[in-house]
Amino acid sequence: MNHLAYLDAGSGSLIVQAVVGGVAGVAVAAKLYWRRLVDRFRRQPTDQR
Amino acid sequence: MAISPAGVRPEPGSFRDPANRVFHVGDEVLRGLDARAAEHWRALAGSEFFTSLLATGKVCATEVLEPARVPADSAWAAVLRHERIPFVSHPYEWSFTMLRDAALLHLEILRAALPAGFTTKDGSAYNLQWRGSAPVFIDVGSFEPVRDGEPWAGYRQFCQTMLYPLLLTAHLGVDFQPWLRARVDGIEADALRPLFRGLRRLRRGVPTHLHLHAAMQNRHAEATTTDVRAQLRAAGYSRELALATVRGIEKLVRRLEPTSSASHWNDYQRTCGYSAEDRVGKERFVAAALADGPRPRLVLDLGANDGRYARLAARHADHVVAVEQDPAVVDTLYRTLRDEGERRILPLVMDLADPSPGGGWRGTERASFADRAAADAVLALAVVHHLAIGRNVPLPEVVAWLADLCAPGGRVVVEFVHPEDPMARRLLANKPEGLFPDYHRAEFERLLATRGRIARREELPSGTRTLYTVVVGG
Repeated sequence: MNHLAYLDAGSGSLIVQAVVGGVAGVAVAAKLYWRRLVDRFRRQPTDQR
Repeated sequence: MAISPAGVRPEPGSFRDPANRVFHVGDEVLRGLDARAAEHWRALAGSEFFTSLLATGKVCATEVLEPARVPADSAWAAVLRHERIPFVSHPYEWSFTMLRDAALLHLEILRAALPAGFTTKDGSAYNLQWRGSAPVFIDVGSFEPVRDGEPWAGYRQFCQTMLYPLLLTAHLGVDFQPWLRARVDGIEADALRPLFRGLRRLRRGVPTHLHLHAAMQNRHAEATTTDVRAQLRAAGYSRELALATVRGIEKLVRRLEPTSSASHWNDYQRTCGYSAEDRVGKERFVAAALADGPRPRLVLDLGANDGRYARLAARHADHVVAVEQDPAVVDTLYRTLRDEGERRILPLVMDLADPSPGGGWRGTERASFADRAAADAVLALAVVHHLAIGRNVPLPEVVAWLADLCAPGGRVVVEFVHPEDPMARRLLANKPEGLFPDYHRAEFERLLATRGRIARREELPSGTRTLYTVVVGG
């Protein structure tokens, strides 16, 4: 269970608001995930796990 | 003259946002702002949307305290003075429609703020209070300039303290009050999810605001909000999108309705067995008790039911708090008062045998009912037998409790239902015989006399009920 601090918006709570904002919001969320994915591949040579 | 630091009492419920804190000086409610919050306040005070929210009473009246009065040793950059709310209540004392109307007001305020370049940094149900049946937004310190490309920081809190409680009652018919009372931060998504499995997953608002929201929280628990904010901004999250989200939540909340449940008390006035003569006598007695002496500022009507006596009291007092145990009855009363535009009667849900305790940090962040009471008059009509016989509360305890709810010099207007009365007999029939040997009129009068002066006494025409006005400590 998540216990988040007061005045901490919560990362998941921020992203989900894009999704509930309708079609335009879903596009923003998709773009965010796409960028994260691209970033991960770009960073891989120096950021191996 | 500057306020003496010795007279400053910090509000125990105001510490979560270090940028501003509420404190009391005498009867005044003041809010200290740090340098940044003071800067935000100046921008806010100059904005058109805020001025209009103040003018319509949707935000509590607020003005800057004269600089000469600011306590000399205070570290605040500015101090505000707020209007005094007649009786502070907690969301777990509200009925479904009260919580829904409060939520709608919070969203309306956010929707007005966003186009003007402001947002609220939290989204708590505790940001709202009541003037009678009208909600009012009190957390002026919550407004701050919105940074473009950022979703509402208060959304999670809004879900936990308002949306989830509403979903619980609207979709499952479960009263939300005990859930909110148990947790000062509201209902967490993970705590509610197990109740929305199977087809219930698909109920309005549940797939996104509950399940997806909880999944996202768990998935992104490690990401910092600073990073996520930057990523959302880069991905094109706009203020229009933020507005669309608020409108979407508003639409959802507006469509939530309480699940109707048959309530024994909803029919009380019709089934309670009062004769017309008794009712007339009782109304006359209560009216005289309230009209006699100084005009009460605050009256508590305990066991208010359909609000008949709360309305009568409102003719003789500034404010009335109508306390009733059954959430469905309170909801009906609230809707009626709201539709009439009544601004002096506040209906609240509370079991008199289990009144709201202190809650939150050190048990003082949310004041107990007893600590908030300090009434000029307490009406306890047809409740003593429910407590003394129905709930086994010793009679001396009931009398002491009523007297303690009064401010010094306050009045208690109390009805004693004799053991021979049909209602008392019905309650006694469910208890072992001879369990309450002290439940009789002479003992009740003796107990009243230990706490005050019996100013008036009248037996109702039925002969099985007696009314008393007691001046506490008199």
